[in-house]
Amino acid sequence: MQVYLPIAELSMNLFFLVGIGGAVGFLSGLFGVGGGFLLTPLLIFSGVPSSVAVASVTGQVVAASTSGALSYYRRGQIDLHMALYLVLSGVLGAFGGVATFQVLRAAGQLDLVISLGFLILLGFVGTLMLIEAARAIMKRRAGIVVREKLPNQHNWFHGLPWRVRFKKSRLYISVIPVLALGVAIGFVGSLLGIGGGFILVPALVYILRMPGNMVIGTSLLQVVAMMAATTILHAVSSQSVDILLAFCLMVGGTVGAQFGASAGKYLRGEQLRALLAILVLAVAIRFGISLVMTPGDVYSTAVIGASGVI
Amino acid sequence: MRRLLLALAMVLAASPAWAERLVTQVSQDEVSITSSFAGQTLTLFGAIEPEVGAEQRFVEGPYHVIITVTGPLQNRVARRKTNQFGIWLNTSQAEFERFPSFYQVLSDAPLSNITDPITLAEKEIPLENQARYTAKAGWWDATVFGGELTRLMQQKGMFKLNENGVVFRSDTFYFAQVALPSDAPPGPYLAHTYLIKDGQVIAEKSDGFSVRKIGFERFLGQSARTQPLLYGLVCVALALFTGWLGGVVFKR
Repeated sequence: MQVYLPIAELSMNLFFLVGIGGAVGFLSGLFGVGGGFLLTPLLIFSGVPSSVAVASVTGQVVAASTSGALSYYRRGQIDLHMALYLVLSGVLGAFGGVATFQVLRAAGQLDLVISLGFLILLGFVGTLMLIEAARAIMKRRAGIVVREKLPNQHNWFHGLPWRVRFKKSRLYISVIPVLALGVAIGFVGSLLGIGGGFILVPALVYILRMPGNMVIGTSLLQVVAMMAATTILHAVSSQSVDILLAFCLMVGGTVGAQFGASAGKYLRGEQLRALLAILVLAVAIRFGISLVMTPGDVYSTAVIGASGVI
Repeated sequence: MRRLLLALAMVLAASPAWAERLVTQVSQDEVSITSSFAGQTLTLFGAIEPEVGAEQRFVEGPYHVIITVTGPLQNRVARRKTNQFGIWLNTSQAEFERFPSFYQVLSDAPLSNITDPITLAEKEIPLENQARYTAKAGWWDATVFGGELTRLMQQKGMFKLNENGVVFRSDTFYFAQVALPSDAPPGPYLAHTYLIKDGQVIAEKSDGFSVRKIGFERFLGQSARTQPLLYGLVCVALALFTGWLGGVVFKR
């Protein structure tokens, strides 16, 4: 069944949209990530203009992360104080990201920056994750008990001025690294149409030394709030949020995520991380190939300014 | 009274003995884009008749008909990638102002058999001419990028030359079918018909029709443009609600 997307101005198969939403939702439920980093490229590869894809996926990421954030909130596993700092700086970063998005779109370099961004970011994060997961798996094979690093070990940047006490995370650290992290995630997330959960979670653990039980919930809340802000910013500045496209993806994604979450119980943590790392690397390689390989057509065309001018 | 008669006589004398006019009609004034829009075929038909007030009672061919269908105009850019440091990136571009988003040429015979290239170019009929007269670049860029843009538009299915798209049912009655693809841009369309005899354009006629989103799609498209803030807020509310509902339904 074809459904007409009013902002993308093209018809797409409803089952295809709900299907990729569901498939990505399954993976996001399985790995506990938003899934934006898979969905945006999938939409772009299936013919949706990249600006519409990025802007609409932000809406889908909000939906995908909401139910998770709510359940963590009920269990009291969100550090609201920390989340407030992250969100406020994240929105600031999102302003920058959306503005950059506009400039790049006008200059015709949006696709390049999206490809490069995905390649570098996913390649880097994917490699780190794969190494970490492989080590964990090998240690388990060798029978070594892995001890996590103590959360209260400090780095030099924790001692910067403007120290704030985060009661729930039992941290007394400078807000500067917190704010910097928020701005960076906000910028990258709004530019690439990804929630940034897969960057934020390791950053909270390894950089801010947040305790493990607070990390996922806080990161999910940050993703919800920041992607909500980004959706609104995209709607206002580029008017390329396709609510129908986003809704089709949301429906598939929310259902898929539930199945993914229950499937995730059958796999061990480091196995999951290794699989996620491989997935992330595969997407990165796909973007890398498209950048390096001779394109099928060196010419391309796009509409500039408001469409439908007469 | 005498002056009036004289004027009438002069008009009659001025009009050629053989003059034709086109009577044309589009099957639909309006194409509605609904949620299940998967493209639509329009029929353009017309008859060749003697000019009003002309002496003759019938017309004599052979006639040829060329119809151009032009979609809403947009500002477009064509870009070229080159390999820089191992990476392919857009390095040069040319802009085209008020370039048709959709353009089809239909005729009853190969264009070269109907009339000479100069007449075709004067009327800006060929596909390539669309890029040539809208280019905002130098001659060289306009030629290179214009040619490529025309090719890209053909690949997208937005530009098409159909040299047997016009079918004559009799010597003076023809029809043509235009297929609008599912991603036909909404807006005003113009169907321009050229009647050609012995290589000369002897009559022209324009008909308009519009492609519009209706109902819910129109509402969505308009609110995204006129109420972007509200639209964004509704998107977010919808996302939050869907996520919450999913969590409740599946009791995660």
